[in-house]
Amino acid sequence: MISLPPVGFVALSGGLLAVGLFGILTRRNFVLLLVAIEVAMNAAILNFVYFAAYAPSTASGLSGQSIAVVLVGFAATEVAVGLAIVLALYRVKGTINVGQATDLKL
Amino acid sequence: MNGPEVAFFALAAVAVVTALAALLVRELVHTIMWIAVFFVDLSAIYFLLEAPFLGVLQLGVYAGAVTVLLLLGIMVTRKRIFSREAATGIGPAAVVLALLSFVFVVTAVGEFPSSPQPIRAYDPAALSQNLFGPDGPWLLLLGLVMLASVSGAIYLVREGRE
Repeated sequence: MISLPPVGFVALSGGLLAVGLFGILTRRNFVLLLVAIEVAMNAAILNFVYFAAYAPSTASGLSGQSIAVVLVGFAATEVAVGLAIVLALYRVKGTINVGQATDLKL
Repeated sequence: MNGPEVAFFALAAVAVVTALAALLVRELVHTIMWIAVFFVDLSAIYFLLEAPFLGVLQLGVYAGAVTVLLLLGIMVTRKRIFSREAATGIGPAAVVLALLSFVFVVTAVGEFPSSPQPIRAYDPAALSQNLFGPDGPWLLLLGLVMLASVSGAIYLVREGRE
């Protein structure tokens, strides 16, 4: 049985969340936005997997891994829908810069 | 510091550096290359956590499918695939907010022990029994969401819709 420090995992997921948030706030390209969202989402999934192994009771530990499996599926679905939006935006606007997708503004 | 700890800190450093590189490089294709390395690195961390099923899932879904999907998205929306992304100003507010979120998460971990804690390994068979047993509703929900999102994606990209 191996041992790993909980603080290191929380710091890593906090760092990845910060990097993802930074990307979401600064990038204007839709594909880069999707990449930033994936980074932030992976930070959450990493926490689920670590605390599944760290949890004191067996049942809750396995639930953590189950939720991580479902979250990976959700993330893949989100990328598929995101790319459909990218294609629709490109067809209408001729660009995938989200700064120019302002048709819903009053 | 034991061997797994050294491996974890090395993998963690690579994860943060590759995630940052993916968002900071100017060519979009290089972004996809860096994010592929990031996904493979996270998969290695899952193997280190003795969660082999999630490690393989990460390799197949993220490093495989998501990377190819993102690459396809770039290929069909760019005249030249290696064209550079226009520089966007990195506002100080975004950096400050990202740093604040990091500090908030890290300061909230005072109650966790900083010494290494044992990792429990789970058999993939036990995980699948759990997924199709007590956690079955989650999997059902995922299937329903996937069905709705595939329908939505097809509606968005179908021909003749402007």
